[in-house]
Amino acid sequence: MSSARWTLWRRQAWAVARHELVRSVFSGRVVPVLLLLAMPLSLAGLRAFFLPPGQRLDLAHSTADFAQMFALFHLRFVVFFACAVVFAKLFRGEILERSLHYSLLAPLDRAVLVAGKYVGGLMAAWLLLLPATALTFVLFHLPHGAAGFRQVLSGTGAAHLAGYLAVVALACCAYGALFLLAGLYFSNPMVPALIFLGWEVATPFLPPALKALSFVHYLSSLLPVPPSLGPLALLTRPVDPWLAGCGLLAATTVLLVLAVRKARGLEVTYSAE
Amino acid sequence: MTPDAITLRDVSKFYGEVLGVNRITLDLKPGLTGLVGPNGSGKSTLMHLLTGLLRPTRGEISVLGVDPGDPERLFRIVGYCTQYDSFPSGATGLSFLRHALALHGVPADEGDRRCFELLQQVGLADAARRRIAGYSKGMRQRIKLAHALGHAPRVLVLDEPLNGLDPMGRAEMIRLFKELAADGRFVIVSSHILHEVDAICDAVVMVHGGSVVAEGQIRAVRGEITSQPIQVLVRCDRPRAIAAAALALDHVVEAKLLDDGASVLVRTRDADAFYASLTGIVIGSGAAVETVLPADESVDAVYGYLIGQPGVPT
Repeated sequence: MSSARWTLWRRQAWAVARHELVRSVFSGRVVPVLLLLAMPLSLAGLRAFFLPPGQRLDLAHSTADFAQMFALFHLRFVVFFACAVVFAKLFRGEILERSLHYSLLAPLDRAVLVAGKYVGGLMAAWLLLLPATALTFVLFHLPHGAAGFRQVLSGTGAAHLAGYLAVVALACCAYGALFLLAGLYFSNPMVPALIFLGWEVATPFLPPALKALSFVHYLSSLLPVPPSLGPLALLTRPVDPWLAGCGLLAATTVLLVLAVRKARGLEVTYSAE
Repeated sequence: MTPDAITLRDVSKFYGEVLGVNRITLDLKPGLTGLVGPNGSGKSTLMHLLTGLLRPTRGEISVLGVDPGDPERLFRIVGYCTQYDSFPSGATGLSFLRHALALHGVPADEGDRRCFELLQQVGLADAARRRIAGYSKGMRQRIKLAHALGHAPRVLVLDEPLNGLDPMGRAEMIRLFKELAADGRFVIVSSHILHEVDAICDAVVMVHGGSVVAEGQIRAVRGEITSQPIQVLVRCDRPRAIAAAALALDHVVEAKLLDDGASVLVRTRDADAFYASLTGIVIGSGAAVETVLPADESVDAVYGYLIGQPGVPT
């Protein structure tokens, strides 16, 4: 493969990615994502305001609360649906507005098109979700005043925050690839998204072999502070973090390869959509 | 599959059970080729097949030696102005073209210069920074043309490119197509307005019900329709004398005097023989002839004959 060709592919993929980033962040498409992000932020804000004085001295309490909220709500609902909105629209949005053909009328290998769109979606998802996650984390520690800030900036809290951000980043990679593929296959990708959400929620009750087919099973194993799951804890056994990380990246790769295969056979028949 | 022609071999496309195009074999040469037929005849399907937006159910297509399934090579040489009147939301004329050129790998500074050249070429320089959503139909048509022309392709496929343009705009675009064709490019133009194609194309491909019913130069196609006598209109000061003399020829089947009192419409089975005899007829009758015109060598008339509906082709 000549370096000139690589340079061209990189330039083309970057053009597609930049285009998708702008469309995902600076257009009406961002509104549902912002509404989703407002939920944990509002929750954290309300908690900061109404936290009983007795608990304001207990940093461990806030750490545990955030772990709980992150595992059961932020990751399973906010990150999940934000990725669904951003990534499912990469192809489906263009099919619905009947502008996909402009991408297909370019001298662009379809693999480069998929890669560019995926990277653009990933940048948009990270740009929206990572700061919101960090801000929510800070808001959870806000009631503790100076001690809370020290915890966030230099204590174990900083390591926890880095861990949560890594989980969100990885979740965007995996869910992103899944929803990009769903956008290629389904006229309404929200239907498979809801089915997959059901699967993710039911993960603790699944037999071990089926747990392996759930993203949240691996993501939960990477959480810096395991949430308290009560009796459900008996049903879950964390995966080795390396295996979890590599497994998610491998699944992402497989999903993207399937997306490239589908994109290579893509035809423009808007009336049939 | 030659590298200097556009060829289709036994190409069919089915949408499930529905026929798009059926067993089409064509060889297209450089110049202006008109793809004509009524709405739903298969013109757009054929154009989508040529540009890889659709894959044939069977058969082979080669565009200057390139398989339309290879977009990376195909769109270095092909530009396609589709029938779709839709654009990426929020795009301005400039950002739309800039993105298209970026996908061609054109660096940003060179891309901007090229964008303004293109916008100038299609008369949209003043509207460059306006949103396409606010453009008129004619302006949207022009920006699509600029998109197709952006990389100076050797093959230009234009689906109903004159739709929505005002008469001035149509004349400008037709002049542009003719210039591109004169430059040795392949310019394939579809239209359901047959007289429009008649005015601009060197050759035509007539499509009906998903099949090609005729192809080639209009006059040659007309000559092959032997079941329909050829019509020749003679304008002169003594139409009765011309009509009487024409009827004496064995290949003339009808000579009809028209209401204007200064024309006769002759229907003949052998146009060449009629033209050869005409000088003698004119001299013999002493008429002063103003014009002699083939009356049914238009795309319109030929299409009507081919699909069995003379006079109502679209």
